[in-house]
Order: sequence, then C-alpha cells, then structure tokens
Amino acid sequence: MSALLEIRDLRVTIGSTAAVRGASLSLDKGETHCLVGESGCGKSITALSVMGLLPRGAVRETTALRFAGEEIGHYGERQMERLRGDRMAMIFQEPMTSLNPAYTVGSQMTEVLRRHRGTPRAQAVDRAAELLARVGITAPGLRLGQFPHQLSGGLRQRVMIAMALMCDPELLIADEPTTALDVTVQAQILRLLAGLQKDLGLGILLITHDLGIVARVADRVSVMYAGEVVESAPTATLFAAPQHPYTRGLLSCVPVPGKVKRDEPLGSIPGVVPRIRPGFTGCGFRDRCAEATPACAGTIPRRDLGSGHEMLCVLDPGRDGKAAA
Amino acid sequence: MSATAAIEVRGLRREFRVRQGIFAAPKRVIAVDDVSFSVPPGSVLGVVGESGCGKSTLARLILGLLPPTAGEVLVDGQRLAQMDRRARARLIQPVFQDPFASLNPKRRVRDIVAMPLIAQGSIGRAEVERRVGEALERVGLSSDQGARFPAQLSGGQRQRVAIARALVLRPRIVVCDEPTSALDVSVQAQILNLLAELRRDLGLTYLFISHNLAVVEHIASEVAVMYLGRIVERAESERLFAAPRHPYTRALLASVLTPEPGLGVPDVGLGDVMPDPANIPPGCRFHPRCPVAVAQCSAESPRPATDAAGLVECHLARHAA
Repeated sequence: MSALLEIRDLRVTIGSTAAVRGASLSLDKGETHCLVGESGCGKSITALSVMGLLPRGAVRETTALRFAGEEIGHYGERQMERLRGDRMAMIFQEPMTSLNPAYTVGSQMTEVLRRHRGTPRAQAVDRAAELLARVGITAPGLRLGQFPHQLSGGLRQRVMIAMALMCDPELLIADEPTTALDVTVQAQILRLLAGLQKDLGLGILLITHDLGIVARVADRVSVMYAGEVVESAPTATLFAAPQHPYTRGLLSCVPVPGKVKRDEPLGSIPGVVPRIRPGFTGCGFRDRCAEATPACAGTIPRRDLGSGHEMLCVLDPGRDGKAAA
Repeated sequence: MSATAAIEVRGLRREFRVRQGIFAAPKRVIAVDDVSFSVPPGSVLGVVGESGCGKSTLARLILGLLPPTAGEVLVDGQRLAQMDRRARARLIQPVFQDPFASLNPKRRVRDIVAMPLIAQGSIGRAEVERRVGEALERVGLSSDQGARFPAQLSGGQRQRVAIARALVLRPRIVVCDEPTSALDVSVQAQILNLLAELRRDLGLTYLFISHNLAVVEHIASEVAVMYLGRIVERAESERLFAAPRHPYTRALLASVLTPEPGLGVPDVGLGDVMPDPANIPPGCRFHPRCPVAVAQCSAESPRPATDAAGLVECHLARHAA
C-alpha cells in the first residue's frame, strides 16, 4: 500500500554548505532505485540521512521521512540504532569502513544477530556461514575464522553484503558498492545483489556515479545535482528521453563502445560543480547550462511529465522533439 | 615499420621480492613477465587489465622510474637505460591517476609546471616563463589559475596542471596511468577530449593505461590486454573490441556495463578464483578462471602467436585464427 521508504523535501545543511536542498524520493519493496550524480551532489548525504548517520554538526529537516509506513524523522539515536543493521542496512564503497580489522569475519557477523535478536552463538554462526555461501563465498567455515585483511577486495565486499543481510533487512542502502572493484568483480557483485533482491524482496537504494550500472540494475533513477533531485524517471524513460539539461549532459559524457567514434570529442559539461550556500535560490545548474534563461534565477517548478517522470527545470519538456515518456 | 618506434619494449621483465609475514621467506613476484611490443609514433597504445596485472609496473619501467630485471626499453630508438635523466625527461613524461598526490601542495601551479624546465638547468628565466604560460594555455588554464595552489583547484583543473607539466618540455611520448579514474564523468570527458586534441595537434604518442575499457576504446588505436604480467592479446582497437580472441579479453569486454537499459548485468563466467601475482598457476596462467579451458591449458604454457590480426596467447585461439 505505501512505499518502503519515502523521503519528502529533505534538507541537510553542514556548516555553510547546503548539502541537500529539498530532495524527495520513494522506494518500493523489491525495487532498485538508483541515486546518480557527481561528487558533492548530495547523494551520499541523502543516504546517511535515512540511516541517521549524518556527520556531527549536520542539520537535517524533512517534511516526511517514512520507513515501512512509519515516520522515523523524529527518531532519536536509540530508536535508530534498533533499526540499523536490523530492518535497514547499508554497505559502502570501501568494505573496511564497516569491517573491524581487529575481529574475525565470524565474530563481526554474528554480533549483528546476537545484538539485535539475542540469537545464541551457535545459531548465529550457522546463519553467518549460510549467508557467506549465499553470497558466493566458497569454504565459508574457513572465512569465518579469518580477519578482513586476509581477504581480497571482492571477498570483503561479499562479506560486507552478507553481514548486512544477517537480520533480513527490508531496505539495503548501497553507496558505490563496486566502485573500488575490477570490472569483472563488479559484474559478479551486481549480479549477486540482483539475485538477493529477487529472492528476499529487498528494497535497494543504490548510490552510484556510473550510468552503466544505473542502466543495468535500476528500476527507477533519480539524478541529483547540487543537492536537488533534478530529474526522476523509470530507467528506460530516463535513458530514452532525458529532459533535464544536466541529465542530457551527463549521458553525453559517457563513452559508449560502438556509439561514439574514436577521436570524436565526447560531450562534456563546462565548468565545475558549485558549492551551494544556504539561502541560494534558483537552479544550481544554471551557470553550466547552455539552455539557461533569466527565469532560472527564480523559483524552479517541479514538473510532472507523466508516467512517473519528473523534472526540476523551467524548460519545456520535449522542447527539441525528444518527447517525454 | 620503417619509422623508428616511439616506444619499443623487448623481453621486459620485472620481479619484486615480497615478504608476506615477518618470519616468512621473501617471495618472488613477477609483475611483468617477458613483455615485448612496439608503439609507432603518433599512435595510442591502450593497456588494460585488472588490478595486479602489472600495467602500472609496465608504465614505471617505460618511464625509467624502475629498472627492469631483464630486457630493455627503447624510447625513440634510444636505450632508456643509457639515457641521461634530462634527455629522458625531454622525450617521455608521465600523467598519473591522482593529481592531488602528484602535485606539490605547497607550490603554486606555475612553479609546478616550471619545475621540469628548471631541472634542465639550461633554460633562461624569461624562456621558462614563456613556456609555462604556453603550456597552461594549451591545457585551458588561465594565468590567474597559474598563481593558485593545487588545493584551490578542482580535480579536473589539477589534472590539467599535471598535463601542462608533462607537456612543458615538449616531449614526444606521454605515459598516462589511469589519468581519468579519479575524476567525475563530466570532467573525465573534458580531460579525454583534451588529451585527444593534444595528441592530434602536437603529434604525441601515448601509452594509455586504464581499467575502463570504454575509455580505452575511445582513445586508443591499439590495445594490449595484460593478465598476471603477460600481454595475452594485442590488436588494433576496432578489431579487439569487435572480435576478441582471448577468453580473458572476451570476459573483460562482457563485464563492461554500457548505459543501455534492459540488458541486465552479464554473467562474466570467470568464477571465484582471484589472480594472485605471487602464485602464478602452471600452464596457462588464466586457466583457473577460464570458462573454456581444456586439459592442455593446465599443463602447458601457451606461446604468443602473431598474425595479421595481432597477437594472442591461448592454446585455443591459435587454431581458430
């Protein structure tokens, strides 16, 4: 009936930077929603806001932050602690940020279950071994006794995923989970996540800068720029008929084998991502936008283009014959 | 092949001794194992492979930053080992992955770019200033940006500084080791366009190392695929991407996620065994991961076979060609 995760009008200010400026998105059970954008666009901060893991000094405001139909925006640290690792889990780009180098894989994995569920040790060990096997690790018994530094990058990533799944979460937030891996291992990890999602009905919020990953795994995409979701659409629609100038620019930057000829220049977006201060008005992209008009300095309307396609821009959708949806 | 190759590498080998524990006996790791190739002037050789395949070691050997254990490197027809450092710097220059790590944070951009000129010891101050200005302009940096410190620039601008520094001595060859991997997509495109433009205008030769195959396909005229220290396939870029012959090349290409919705994530078919340069398997070094390996592959090392289509080192591909 209701979405698994619903964020409405999220604002996060860190010191003198407006990191997230009114981002909204929703995620259904069993769905993969990709949050895509370049460094500093606010995608990781959005994810950390959901988990209640914002850095000290960050100020968060939302109209709504609902998880499984329940408003969690006002939850305190203890209530969030109960959710985290249990009903919602997060995996990171660098597995060593969530793995403790001083403990064995087994003791870290079982701790999650013992802490949240009070599961007896032997049972927790069985569950850990079962999940290691589920994420494609051969000889799970051996791995449980090893320390993180004894594992390769791809194995650590699998261990982190297995650990995130210990309590059967409903929501998995994955922040650039394959960015540090080789392409061959990346494909394996993404296939694994897709398989787990199908079997367990997980909702996945996947944060990435890689449009190739987005195209291949997402059901729905939200493009973030300078703290705002500038365009959101079902994946096929976004790639077939992108409307926001930033989305179009981003797509033209990616070399596609067989599409762009060698030595022909790639599309690129001039300039750099701006740092937005609180109180900034208008479109954050206008200084880099080739289609900017005076209206871009005013209030930018959120346009509903139909079939779940939305954008934050003053321009006409389908302005150049590329119709929306 | 009448023109002198810009880079020629013959039987190049580099070993490291690695200790895996305080009391463990040092282990021999062969990072680059009997590699030979030549790069004609004005072309771009892309080198691809997974982490640990030896591609960065290869770059360091060609730059003369590491001495080879065996074999030799010729740059513009001259033996690198016998070249004076200053002469080498005038011929071949690097651009590395992380512009933040490769630029001195306490120096202004124009001083960083001037360094190679000053190190030559024979160039007057006015000439240094003129050439720094020229190099900055070439890469699209203003003189105002030349007066700043690296920390005041964005990642893309810093990579432009690194490129300006590489070009200031007007070298013939640039070794780019993952030059865009640390950059955002929109900035990556700017830097790739700049590198392509510079190559055309200045007639440069690139050795372009990257793990990103789409980027390599875009910029390279020829591609070498490395696996555990060896080049297992080498071919013209178009041919390699259209008709890969080595099973490893095929797996690498299959794992590229192009932005095409609906195709899903491919099954690369490589299994769970990870390549370990400290434990190179007998026979074909790729056989534990190879989806089409036969009995011969674990017993006998394949020899490189060269034909009109390029080079491939695989028991199975040789018959097919």
